Order: sequence, then C-alpha cells, then structure tokens
Amino acid sequence: MSGETEAVSLSGTPTTAELAAVSNEEETRILSDAIRSLPPQAVKDLLNSEVCIACILRLFGFREHFHFRSSISSSMLHSVLGESEHLEHYGILAGSKSGEELEVQQIVCRMCLGILQYLYRNDKGILVQKLSADGLAASIDEMIKQDGHEIDGFSLELSVPPVLLEHDNAVWSYMKKRYGQEVGIAEETSKCVSVKDALKLAITYPIENMLDVKSSSIPSSFRIRLTYSQTKPSSSMAKSPGETNGSCKRRKTGMLTLLVSCSFCFCFFAADVNGVPVRSSNFSGDQKSSEPCNFPLEKVNEPYYLALVCCRTPIYIGGRYLKFSRNVSQTRWIIDDERKGESSVEEIIGSSILPACQGDSYKFHAAGREDIDVRMLGSGRPFMVEVQNARRVPSEAIIKETETKINSLEEKLVAVKNLKLEVNNGWGLMHEGESEKQKQYCSLVWISRTLEDEDVQTITASKDMKVLQRTPIRVLHRRSPLEREKIIHWMKVERVAGSSQYFLLHLCTQAGTYIKEFVHGDFGRTNPSIGSILGCRAEILQLDVTDVKMDGF
Amino acid sequence: MADHTVQESNDPEKQGKPEFLLPVEDEGELRKLLVPDPENLPATPSSAVETNFVSYFAPDFTKPGHDQYVYRHANGLCVVGLAPGHLAFKDEGGITAVDFNVGKSDRSGMKVTGKRKKNAQHFESNTAICKVNTKADSYIVRCCVKGSLLEVNDRLIKQPGLLNSSADREGYVAIMMPRPADWLKVKASLMSGEEYAKLREVRVLN
Repeated sequence: MSGETEAVSLSGTPTTAELAAVSNEEETRILSDAIRSLPPQAVKDLLNSEVCIACILRLFGFREHFHFRSSISSSMLHSVLGESEHLEHYGILAGSKSGEELEVQQIVCRMCLGILQYLYRNDKGILVQKLSADGLAASIDEMIKQDGHEIDGFSLELSVPPVLLEHDNAVWSYMKKRYGQEVGIAEETSKCVSVKDALKLAITYPIENMLDVKSSSIPSSFRIRLTYSQTKPSSSMAKSPGETNGSCKRRKTGMLTLLVSCSFCFCFFAADVNGVPVRSSNFSGDQKSSEPCNFPLEKVNEPYYLALVCCRTPIYIGGRYLKFSRNVSQTRWIIDDERKGESSVEEIIGSSILPACQGDSYKFHAAGREDIDVRMLGSGRPFMVEVQNARRVPSEAIIKETETKINSLEEKLVAVKNLKLEVNNGWGLMHEGESEKQKQYCSLVWISRTLEDEDVQTITASKDMKVLQRTPIRVLHRRSPLEREKIIHWMKVERVAGSSQYFLLHLCTQAGTYIKEFVHGDFGRTNPSIGSILGCRAEILQLDVTDVKMDGF
Repeated sequence: MADHTVQESNDPEKQGKPEFLLPVEDEGELRKLLVPDPENLPATPSSAVETNFVSYFAPDFTKPGHDQYVYRHANGLCVVGLAPGHLAFKDEGGITAVDFNVGKSDRSGMKVTGKRKKNAQHFESNTAICKVNTKADSYIVRCCVKGSLLEVNDRLIKQPGLLNSSADREGYVAIMMPRPADWLKVKASLMSGEEYAKLREVRVLN
C-alpha cells in the first residue's frame, strides 16, 4: 500500500446538491478508498484499541467524509483489511446506515467516547444509540416540534469536553512515532479533525434536511445546542413559567471538572500488536520530552451524557409607550403582597407581546421611568420588551396586530406606538435615553400668592438654569445621599384661566432631574426651586411627561 | 377630532367610539389633556409635606418648652425640627445662630455615603444634634427618634433665620432613619398634629 491518499472527488464543503448527487455506492467507494490509503497495521492498531472508524478517518484528516450518510460496514472492512482477518478481534465498528447490519455497538470509542458513534446517555441517564446522524436529527426535530417552535434557520452549537483534544493529541503523537514514515506524517502539525468539527460536518446537513431549513452563516436566533459531558446535566432544563426568569442559560456541565481530572491520561508505553516495542526515537527532531505517550487510551465503559437544548435567544420588540393613567406604575409594584396601583405598563404591554411571540417569559426595559401618578404623553417613552425563548419570531403583520390590540384595550390606560422587532438589541439606546436625553414636562403649579407678570417674565427668561438637588427625601431610603447638579433648559408659563395662583409650567430638563422637588423645593434641599425663585411657597399638583427627546425609536 | 386613528379598519364596532385610541401627537389633543378645569382646583391645595408625610409632635422633649416635630415619610425616613410652640421662638429677635458642634463632634461634618448609608451614626432619641441660640438663651435640639442620622441641615449655619421664617420646611434640622422596631417604640410617645395644636393653641399647618 502506498502512503498516498487517493484523491477524493469532493473538495471544500459540498453543497446539498453535490451531496445528493453522490450515490450510496459512490460514498462507500470513497470511504473504502480512504481506509485503504492508510497503513493497514495502523488501522488495525486503532481498531484494536477501540477507536471507531469515524475517529480513524478524522485522525488522518479526512474531512469531507463526514458529510456522508453511509459508513463502513463490516464487509467493507473485510475487503479493506483482508479476508483472513477476524473482525471480532477488532473491538469496534461504526454503525451503518439504518436497516443494515449493525455490529458491536456496545463498545464505546475511546477517542470520542461515543459522540461520533451517535451513542450517548440522555438526560435520564438512559443509553441511546442512533444508527446515524439522521437518527439524531430526528430526535432534534421531534424536540423542536414538540415545543412548538417555528423556525426558518438555526445555529448549531456543540460543546464537548476538552479532554477529547488531549485524546487526539495522544493518539496522534503515537501514530506519528509509530507509523510516521509510512503515512507521510513526518510533519508535526496534526491534520486531525477535532470531534467537534467532525460532528458538525456530520450532522448539519441531516438536521437541515429534517427541519427543512438551512443553517445560516449569520448566527440565527434559534439555537440547537448539543452539550456532551462527563457528568449528568442538571435537570433544570425545564423552562420556568414565571416572568422573572426563564432565559436560556449556557450549561457548563462537567467541563471544568474534566479539565482538572486527567485520570484518562496516564503514561505507559504500549507495545504494538506484534509485540515489537514502540520505537522511542523522534522523527521530526522535536524533543518534547514531557509529551506523554498515552496510547492506548483508557477503556471507556459509558459514553457521554448528551444534553440537547433547542431554544431561541431573546428577541426584542420595541416601541414607545404612553401612559394616560395616574394610577398605573411602570413596572409591577407589589409591597407586602399588595399591588400598588391598578396595573403596570410592563404588564399591559408584555401580556400582549408574549403570546404574539409564544415565548416563555419577558423582561421590560425603558429609557427612564416616571412615577405612578405621572402621565406619559406626547411622543411617548421608548421601551423594549425582551422575550425569552419565543416559539416564533412575529411577522410585521402580527406585530401590527399586537399594537392594535394594546391600543384597543377597554381601559385606556396605556398605548403603544411604532411597535417593531428590534434587530440590534438597542441596549445602548435605552440606557442613553435614560441618562442623557432631555425630557419635557408639563406641571400644574400652585403658589401661595398671586402670579404676577414679572414672575412669568422671570421664569420664561431663564435658560439652562443650574439646579442643585440633594437626593429627594422620597427616594433617599434607597439612593445614595448626593448633591446632583441638573440643568433646566427652558421654562414656559401658561396661566390657567380663572385662577390667579395656579399655572401650567412647561419645562425641558436634563435627564435625571426631579421635577416635583424642583417645584416645591423639598425642604429647601433643591436649590433653586420655583418657590425660591418666586419667593413664596410653591406646590405641584400634577405632572405629565410630554416628550422624551430620543430618535430612532 | 383626532387627525389619526388606529382603526383604519372597517370594523363597525369601533367606528362609533368617540375617544382617541391612539397616542397623542396632535398638539390640540395634548393640550386638552393638560389644561385643568379651574372648577376643580382647590383654593389652597395640600402641601407636599401634608401629602407625603405624617406629622408627629413631641412637646417638652427632655425639657419643658422644647417642642419638636417629626415628619415621617412613607419610606420610613423622619424629618425633625422645631415645632411652633418651641421656646426659642418666644425670645426676642428669634433664633440668631445655629451650631452643630455639640460636644463630642460637629454634626455638620459627617458624610454619609452609599445606598446602605454607611458611616451614618446611630443615635438615641435624646442625642443632641445642634444648639440654637437666641439673644437670651440657647437650646439643644435632639434627634427625637432613635436611628441613623442621615443628614443635617447645614444651611442653618449661614441662614439661621430659616428657623424663624419656616421651621417646618426650609428650617428643618435633620433627617433620621429609624429601624422599624425603634420607630414603633417612639411613635407611642408622640402626639398628632391635631392634639399638639390644641395643646399649644397654635396652628400646625404644614
């Protein structure tokens, strides 16, 4: 056998058309040729050490073959390795395509621990053997359909214990030392395809086919996550129905423990099958004396656990809201089991959006907030609803429908505008809106004497007035005691017909200004205040936000 | 009426509804919401203090004539100061100076930081906060409530007259934060505004 690999007819990542075009016979031929191109002794050595065919192929850099649906059958191996060989000696064989003969599936490959054999333990700890990638794809398909997801793409995320890389390195260095010259792998760098890459190559197309969607190069919001681990994954994969949590968190099961415990790798020198001691000389002149020769790998009794998670990363629906009620808080407000106010903007909006997306739960974010007794009018306040694990990404039509639904509610407490799916999650905008953008208000003010024309002049004339506000007493229990300088950009007075002491004060202020305190002075802790400017007592009766100056929402 | 309605649809049910269903963008619509009806406006509205605080009084606190008030906010914070019946107001010329240096430390020098109100000092109800001076005499003002001292009104140093003009607002003395249990204990010994008004025959309009 020459040490050259036969040229394969596939290059790069084959398209589905190309894959479909390659018949089963072709696949079988190409696979056999691949095996044939390797030194038979090396192959036998690996098979004998309970390394599966898939791992043998990837060890020597055969990438494209993972796209194949067929695999090597025992009869094929016969022809490759010679009829006289008793295949029972060889511990392990890959499973073959559904329906065909399947031999020896209990032995777990020592290199990939069953991953490329589609052998794993499910979350209940039960051993599962899929015949091929299609079987795995079918399980995924079932899971997705059961959960009711509507998808038009997916991103595949694979997670395997890092110890597998060590296995690859160990086997590779053994191969290099033992068979280096024959296989022409005198160069140091391993061509080995990692388990993760091999698995990805093997299952992407079957999943695409089963789900009838494509895996996109741009990450889709829908994630199919396969996590292989040593230890049983914690059972809290179940979604929680509450509104406070339910987000898809990454599970790092057993990873870190595997990194530390190198119990798999212990050093001993192996004799090859013919009893010849392994040559310890180094071909490439590379003296890595610390490099352990860990071949064969330790026997594996149990394959990895596989945690399959199919969920969508949060999607964001944004817009602007208005609040017409003086008895509705922005977010749920419950003290001592009693709700403050009639309802909340968060719940009114969220409870309509959640069903439109068929999500697990939602979080409400807004660019700033207003008190329960302050109305939000005019252009509205920008907000975003973050939906966890939406079963479908709502279309424009559905979103429009949702907007209409909210605005048509019997009690006109809240309204929304410009409701749309946010592609970039707009975090920066929310925060910016809260802390940087100017706001405009209208307040009903009473003073303890008659409002004179000069007063109106004085107030209207001031531009960009600096105000020092100590933390208002009403929030002092939960905020730091600080003195904050804020700017009142402009003010306008509008007299109230029929009253000499009441007037409407329109004002535009810097973000974070406490308006109520600016009017009544908060025991003199906000300076100047309307009271101090006019030299009398001033009280605020009601406040409305009339504009949140922010573009893009 | 409204320039735009959300119900562009021909839903017959909705066509009869008079009020706007949509966001207020129209100037006219907005104004209608903002302008109050003068008929409904009280001649003298209740003040921010009246609305948000409950007033308590401690007449003759530790000493005869040393009347103090405690305004308690719903969040538990207490603003303390001199009640109208305090002796200091009876002295001619009223209050002329305020000194926060009371023996052990200068109360005006303390700095409370953070949400947790670190380094706020814990005091008993009879701990002194400051001394107010009139031409004739000087009087000690105390915490009245056991708890953490969050803030003193250092404006009184430069403007002691605030006590004379508005002891119940700009002339407050300090802000205390009692623990719930401590508040309940002291509450029992305090009287309401109504009772105090009767006792001293003064008005306690906030």
